[in-house]
Amino acid sequence: MEFVLFKRTMRQVLLLPTIACFVLSSFLVWQISRANSTVGLIEESDNRIALATLIEKLIVDEETGLRGYQTTSDPRFLQPYHDAEAPMQQAIGQLQSMVLPNQQHDLEQFIRAHQTWLLGFAQPNIDTIAAGGNATDVDLNLQGVTLMNSMRNNLDAIVMSAESNRNARITLWHLQTRHLLILLIGLALTTGLFIGLSTRIRLTAVYDSFRHQLDLQRQRSQELYESEQHLRTTLASIGDGVIVCDSEGRVQMMNLVAQELTGWTESEAQSRPLEEVFHIVSELTRQPVENSAVRVQRLKRVVGVSQHTILLRKDGTEISVDDSGAPIRSAAGEITGIVMVFRDITLELKTRAALLANEKLAVAGRLAATIAHEIHNPLDSVANLLYLLQHEPKEEESRQFLQMAHTELARVTQISRAMLSLYRESTAPVSVNLKEMLDDLLLLMQRRFQILGVSVSAELPPEIAVEGFPAELRQVFTNLIANAAEAAGQGGRVIVRAFPRPADVALDQSDDEGAIVEIIDNGPGISPENRKRIFQPFFTTKGEHGTGLGLWVSQGIIRKHAGTIELDSRTEGPDHGTTARVFLAYKPVIYLGGS
Amino acid sequence: MQQSSPLVLCVDDELVGLRVRQILLEHAGYKVLTAVDGHTGLELFAAHPIDVVILDYAMPGMHGGQVAEKMRQTKPKVPILLLSAYLDLPAEVTCLADVYMTKGEGAPALLDKLGNLIPASPHPTFLTGTVKDEK
Repeated sequence: MEFVLFKRTMRQVLLLPTIACFVLSSFLVWQISRANSTVGLIEESDNRIALATLIEKLIVDEETGLRGYQTTSDPRFLQPYHDAEAPMQQAIGQLQSMVLPNQQHDLEQFIRAHQTWLLGFAQPNIDTIAAGGNATDVDLNLQGVTLMNSMRNNLDAIVMSAESNRNARITLWHLQTRHLLILLIGLALTTGLFIGLSTRIRLTAVYDSFRHQLDLQRQRSQELYESEQHLRTTLASIGDGVIVCDSEGRVQMMNLVAQELTGWTESEAQSRPLEEVFHIVSELTRQPVENSAVRVQRLKRVVGVSQHTILLRKDGTEISVDDSGAPIRSAAGEITGIVMVFRDITLELKTRAALLANEKLAVAGRLAATIAHEIHNPLDSVANLLYLLQHEPKEEESRQFLQMAHTELARVTQISRAMLSLYRESTAPVSVNLKEMLDDLLLLMQRRFQILGVSVSAELPPEIAVEGFPAELRQVFTNLIANAAEAAGQGGRVIVRAFPRPADVALDQSDDEGAIVEIIDNGPGISPENRKRIFQPFFTTKGEHGTGLGLWVSQGIIRKHAGTIELDSRTEGPDHGTTARVFLAYKPVIYLGGS
Repeated sequence: MQQSSPLVLCVDDELVGLRVRQILLEHAGYKVLTAVDGHTGLELFAAHPIDVVILDYAMPGMHGGQVAEKMRQTKPKVPILLLSAYLDLPAEVTCLADVYMTKGEGAPALLDKLGNLIPASPHPTFLTGTVKDEK
């Protein structure tokens, strides 16, 4: 159920009973006020009765006063007669104002009879007695009695009418009260039922919605559980070690590989700082290395592989690892955790080292044949010359032969020296004169160029030197020049040139001052699809004649020298061919960890 | 003249080596023609009555194997001595030559093998005799 709908229901549950009760009470108020007005009418009837009774008493007072006066002739007896006169007038006035229509006639008759009695009987009697006369006339007295009776009858009729009226009203009041009671019970039941039913309907809707939500929730939690199991299984099956940390870098979860590599079980490592469980040091300095999790915390982004790190396992043994880390973010983008992935690269490093050694041997092997050829040729000449000298008596010729033998031996020495320097390993970078090195290489390879039918020209300024490892740089340039010569082929042309690069020319991200060596051939060029793979190990276009390691190793060596190597190639047009461009800084920061 | 002085064609791109070899062979009593590459060699081979060929393998343009193949097509009877600085030439190349030897084996070995290829070779005594004494 939507929250809006729920609020509406809540409002209805509050409003409906309130409105129902208000309607009910309004009806009751109306009924009660009706009953009250009936009570008012009853009181009115009571007042009439009381007034009629009062008038009856007053006429008795008047008659009694008059009788007393008649009997005694003493005016003091006449006092009640006079006293009744004013209240009588007032009472009659009041009764006149509130008398009912059916009583009007009786009241008028009474008033007339009273007037007649007062003026025609009482007053003449009083006057007669006051004059000293006698008022004992029977007829006159009978007439007075008749009038008095008539007046009493009228008053009785009024009282009776009022009483019957009062009784009728009391009956009505009772009826109204009973109706009110019945209505009250009926309405209370109806309203209660109405409120109950409507509340029930709404509560049912709320309950249904609640149950639906509960089902959904249950279903979701089941799905969530399954998804988590799925992810857990995935994580456990990954071949790399995975450690999940909270945002503070405390271990939350480790997969099996991570447990095997670190030597910590997941329960042991739980909530411990990552540095303790994943304790890495630099391969070179043996100093603790900032692990990826810490870097993620600091940089707030994915951090790449850090190389040349050694993981100190729980049992003290060591393995080479590379690791990377990534932040886990909440929907709001805050870092809630860090996931770290690492793997054992001990074997990989050994394999890499073996491959490098292999390639070095292959390069050496290829050169060895050239060198043997180079040395054999002058040696053959020297041997022949010595043979001739042993049997040649002419001094002139002897001198010529000796001179030739000398020249040939000098050639052998030069080749041997070039060969020696090619394989001389140095432990620290030294200054390498690029002209000398490249000239030596070209000399050694000269034969190969001739066989291939390639013309090679060099444009090398004499004073251009970089710091580096000469043997490794020779390996690189031997590779690149040999590749260029093979690509150029019969009748082809290779240019080897070097020139300084000022610091402000941006060839790559590196902006050091240094030298660029270009090896340019006019061969068929490298196809775009091959260009992508050319620096990958074991990729070769030379079939079984190539190891597929040359450029891969060369790239490694140049990177070690903090330089760059790139290939430009065009397969079409008159200027087809490939340019291999190597940048070497004059004073590079050489990474001694290995190529 | 052919009986006493056989005509040798030397093909080699090593100029010094070629010159020394020419002197050596001339001292041994051969007549010598020289060529610095395969094409020149083939021209001389076609133009002259060559008795034996001393052929280098590694040469620009055309290697010894290719030169030998062409020579075999025109004059299959002329013996060929393949002389190379390489130690391990492929079999399909060496089978084209009558004799295959590597440079640096020494002058006596060369003269000996060359003599075996030509039955009527001069075998100058001052050379062969001395060599045999030395050994």
